[in-house]
Amino acid sequence: MVPTPALSLNMLIRKLESISRLSDEERRAIERLPITGRHLAAHQDIVREKDRPSQCCLLLEGWACRYQLLSEGKRQIFSFHIPGDIPDLQSLHLKVMDHSVCTVTQATVAFIPHEALRELTAAFPGIAAILWRDTLVDGAIFREWMTGIGRRSALEAVAHLLCELYVKLEAVGLARDHAYRLPLTQADLGDALGLSNVHVNRTLRDLRDNGLITLHGGKLQIDRWQELTGLCDFDATYLHLDRGAV
Amino acid sequence: MPLYFIDTDDDVLTVYDDQGQDLPGPKVARDMAHLVLPDMARQKLPDSDRRTFKASVRDESGTVLYVATLTLVGEWKVEPPAS
Repeated sequence: MVPTPALSLNMLIRKLESISRLSDEERRAIERLPITGRHLAAHQDIVREKDRPSQCCLLLEGWACRYQLLSEGKRQIFSFHIPGDIPDLQSLHLKVMDHSVCTVTQATVAFIPHEALRELTAAFPGIAAILWRDTLVDGAIFREWMTGIGRRSALEAVAHLLCELYVKLEAVGLARDHAYRLPLTQADLGDALGLSNVHVNRTLRDLRDNGLITLHGGKLQIDRWQELTGLCDFDATYLHLDRGAV
Repeated sequence: MPLYFIDTDDDVLTVYDDQGQDLPGPKVARDMAHLVLPDMARQKLPDSDRRTFKASVRDESGTVLYVATLTLVGEWKVEPPAS
């Protein structure tokens, strides 16, 4: 891990402003947060189950995921994270990690000491409320995933996840025109949706053959957004964004 | 590690694996073929009393090494209802 020089907390500000407006004073307080930057390789653990972290990890570049390992090497992915997310925000209030967080791609992260976040949220209740809302939205996303894993067909579940990722990326300015770089492997998608990766391959092929998506060189283009959202009953309400993408 | 290709067919959609999977050996490829069958069966509710789900393993030379088939067979024990 190599320390990075110029780090910008702009991604965090964009993320928080996708949840609710910040005042100039709140924005300046966030920019003053003491942070330590790190470049991480792909598939590297950031924090592990049973750890007792003293800092939170803000994702600045790249993707990460929260996961748990089961016996026989099986893995369940709980969530995917994009720049601006703090995937282990819960460690601020829950001392022991009950799951792990790792990078999906090469990533740049900024560690923020818990103490600094406590001071920030004590001084700015508006920021505390936004972070609280963020963890509630997290819960809403988990509920949606539960429905997907338990009740949606593979086609609907994959389609729903592709729509969710687009809306999340678009909200922080990392995607537009229904296209984005999708760095997830079929195994990642399978571990997130409880499907074998061969079946994920089948499902993606089905979506491509029906002209709904184009997936080439890690770039996803949603060619027929209305039909894709219709297929899986995607309704972005659960993401509770301040300005919706759809 | 050698590449294995897992092709699948559920009577409606046939998917030829054009990417392949890096796997330690043919037995792991067989396990993957087994694993996909229940996923496929769960997706396609049978609209008739018979449906066949198939997953096969090809090696890099194109030789089919293994075929796994899951067949659903339903049978009325009374006169089938009209609708």
